[in-house]
Amino acid sequence: MIEPRKDLLQIADLSREEIEHLLAAAQPFKELFRRSVKKVPTLQGKTVLSLFYEPSTRTSSSFEVAAKRLSADVTNLAVATSSVVKGESVLDTVDTLQAMRADYIIIRHKRAGIPNLVAHHTGAAVINAGDGFHAHPTQALLDASTLHDVFGGSDFSGRRVLIVGDILHSRVARSTSCILTKLGADVGVIGPGTLVPEHRPAEMKKFSDFEQAFAWKPDVIYLLRVQFERQGEQFFPSPGEYHSVYGLTEERLDRVRDEGVWVMHPGPVNRGVELADSVMSYERCLINQQVENGIAARMAVLYWLKPQLETPA
Amino acid sequence: MSNMILFKDASIASAADKKLEVADVLIEDGRIKGAAPGLEVEAGVKVVEARGKVLLPGLFDLHVHLREPGQTGKEDISTGSQAAINGGVTGIVAMPNTSPAIDSGGLVRSVMDIAKRNARIPVYTTGCITKDRAGREMTPIAGMKSAGAVMLTDDGSPVCNPQLLRRAMEYAREFDLPLASHCETMELSGQGAMNEGRVSYQMGIPGIPAISEEICIARDIQIAEYTGAHLHIQHVTTARGMEIIRRAKNDGVHVTCEVAPHHLIFNEEHVIDYDTHFKMNPPLRTREDNERLVAGLIEGVFDVIATDHAPHTDFEKRQQDFASAPFGITGLETALPSLFHYFIKPGVFGWDLLVERYAAQPRRILKLEEVSVTEGSSADLVLFDPKGSTTFSRDFMRSKAVNTPFLDQTLDGRVDMVLCNGEILLERDVD
Amino acid sequence: MKDEDTEGSKILGEDDLSNKIQRLAAQITERHPERLPCFVGIHTRGVTVAKRVRAALGESGNNVPLGTLDISFYRDDLDHRRANPVVQASEIPFEIEGAEIIIFDDVLYTGRTIRAAIDGLLNYGRPSRIELAVIIDRGNRELPIQPDYSGETIITKRLDRIRVCFSEHDGEDSISLISAS
Repeated sequence: MIEPRKDLLQIADLSREEIEHLLAAAQPFKELFRRSVKKVPTLQGKTVLSLFYEPSTRTSSSFEVAAKRLSADVTNLAVATSSVVKGESVLDTVDTLQAMRADYIIIRHKRAGIPNLVAHHTGAAVINAGDGFHAHPTQALLDASTLHDVFGGSDFSGRRVLIVGDILHSRVARSTSCILTKLGADVGVIGPGTLVPEHRPAEMKKFSDFEQAFAWKPDVIYLLRVQFERQGEQFFPSPGEYHSVYGLTEERLDRVRDEGVWVMHPGPVNRGVELADSVMSYERCLINQQVENGIAARMAVLYWLKPQLETPA
Repeated sequence: MSNMILFKDASIASAADKKLEVADVLIEDGRIKGAAPGLEVEAGVKVVEARGKVLLPGLFDLHVHLREPGQTGKEDISTGSQAAINGGVTGIVAMPNTSPAIDSGGLVRSVMDIAKRNARIPVYTTGCITKDRAGREMTPIAGMKSAGAVMLTDDGSPVCNPQLLRRAMEYAREFDLPLASHCETMELSGQGAMNEGRVSYQMGIPGIPAISEEICIARDIQIAEYTGAHLHIQHVTTARGMEIIRRAKNDGVHVTCEVAPHHLIFNEEHVIDYDTHFKMNPPLRTREDNERLVAGLIEGVFDVIATDHAPHTDFEKRQQDFASAPFGITGLETALPSLFHYFIKPGVFGWDLLVERYAAQPRRILKLEEVSVTEGSSADLVLFDPKGSTTFSRDFMRSKAVNTPFLDQTLDGRVDMVLCNGEILLERDVD
Repeated sequence: MKDEDTEGSKILGEDDLSNKIQRLAAQITERHPERLPCFVGIHTRGVTVAKRVRAALGESGNNVPLGTLDISFYRDDLDHRRANPVVQASEIPFEIEGAEIIIFDDVLYTGRTIRAAIDGLLNYGRPSRIELAVIIDRGNRELPIQPDYSGETIITKRLDRIRVCFSEHDGEDSISLISAS
């Protein structure tokens, strides 16, 4: 039996067994979507509080649907709109949530380590919905779940996944490459020299251009979202140059189609930068499946974690 | 007034000798009257049984933050000096990055006055190089010196403008004041909160690359060489930075440097789970840096050990995320036990190195009276029990702050007694 | 309630079990002369019971739709468990709306499993009727739930355990009672 954890903070914490357990656990939740009543009463009476300090419609609504389908009471605390929130406000908010006896706290914040801080501070089960550049574990799980369906199992040995773009600033790159490696896949990366750090894990092979990358014969190309400017610092000369050198252009899409390579992207997509328009209608583009699997994966996580709240006197 | 104390059969630590000679040490009127085996004394003299214990000169820390004036929630001169005594340190030099910064003779004088009133050990102060540490205008250096400042530094920040640093060095040189540098290149450090490397990548924390410190070390040394000033490089953390200094010394540049115990003991891999008790600037580097710095300390590249004692409130360190929390950890109370626990006890280096680098040389740099466990010296002494242990609980600490990685840890060795000018400032019960 | 260590005393052997299955099939046919209901087995052993009863119906059993139900999501004791149970997918290959259904399980005890199964089925739609078939009714009910078809009723104490073995899962057919002593 796989013992439950209290929190899901980063993929690096999970063993291969735990990951496989979560991937298997997501399957019955996928089946649930085909029913007329998509709800089960498992988390009835439980309170799920959602703190999104960084705005995000897709992830926050994915979590909300997941929790509601488990019959939990979900509340979104509208914190994203306020100006820069420092760490102390997070803990003040958490103390208030403690008083409300939240069972699950889902938190996204632009600074790494905040979910860890919150998890130490409360008995509620804490789910990291993305913290700074550090981790996005549920994204990694839904990515693995999508590939689990494509590859027909959770053993990814011999499979090759090419991650493209801004590795340096990407929590998705960190979490997803971590889960892929744990499941046996080979991970390669390609991107501008400024955005592919030397200090990445040794297993992530770097390719200097797409020719080299294609020669490696990847099964999957995973495109990362790219931001032209960050806090006044420029990491590449222009979005146009990025697209021509590192983007999935129409030309490269032809090659991808010929070789049957799958394409993934965590969203939201920058058309004309990471990818050409027609990638979205490519048959082996898995972006929609990723979104769909997001709800099932998050339900599996909510089902598995166990809060450690003290029973009231 | 005759205060006579006899330490019986103590193992004497000295900078000159690796071996610890066993001898009796007799204190009278604040000075060491005799240090030899089998001293005879009359009745009425306080006798301290010191067999198996080490008697060393009071330590001297060239780099501490006392936070007074203006930040006394974290620490003040009184509690900071008590923390020093708790760790066997009998002389400290305060950094000037207070609120307001110590950038005038008047402020130097007020710090010295508070120290005279509230501290039982000598407390010296530095003065800023630039007004308010803003890096634009030179401070009234002569005025600060005559008020008692012993060193100039903008610690907490580098002096970004090389021309300004050059002028400050040329000017300060005439007053025989060493100029201490916090070496950092701000643009390279950016928003960094820990060493840029494998661990910072995994944790998603922006990193401070080693070159930020090393480039500034090289720059400041060249300016010092050009101007002939005495440059003191603070808190060196990388092997490469240390090598730059070694080469400069070999070339005859008047440069001294310091290393902190935590940069010898801890590295970036200790920053697990975002524990802010491992966050300081300059940051913990790599394990290889630990090893090479220790080797450099043994080879004599480092002139002194200094803790960069940096107290912060519990709220600031514990209740904020890693990137937001302030840089710094305390060090006065933990330095001696940690150096004993990690290096002296396992035989990496001996008491002679500790005495030379953390008692003798710091005083020499400031041209203060030498202190040693020899006849005639001022009786600034620490009695240390190698068989004891120290648990750094909140109750144990005398500092207002407990932001140390050793919080609630137990290390080998214990400071049993501390004397300054022959007066007993600390005496722990023997259990 | 499956116990690997102790032996216990056998209530039903292979032949007895087969007879009980036949009897259930006969009772069901008697009660539903016109048209057989759909079968739904509760994971895991309830599914085996449903399959065996369907096989025992002979030719008329061939057209009986068979669904499987995992009731883990509907349990009322999740708060009291260390870890939530591993869930298997439920498969209902027929329209629940308006259907007549028989739920199958191996042992009826407190009734909470059946309550959860009813909840689960209602999530798919609104059946016209639900009946319950079990091999063993061991009493100690905690909810007002009774079987429509049952192979054998035995009186047990709370701490007693019933061990059900099916050749499909456990290598042999037998049902044993392990008394708490």
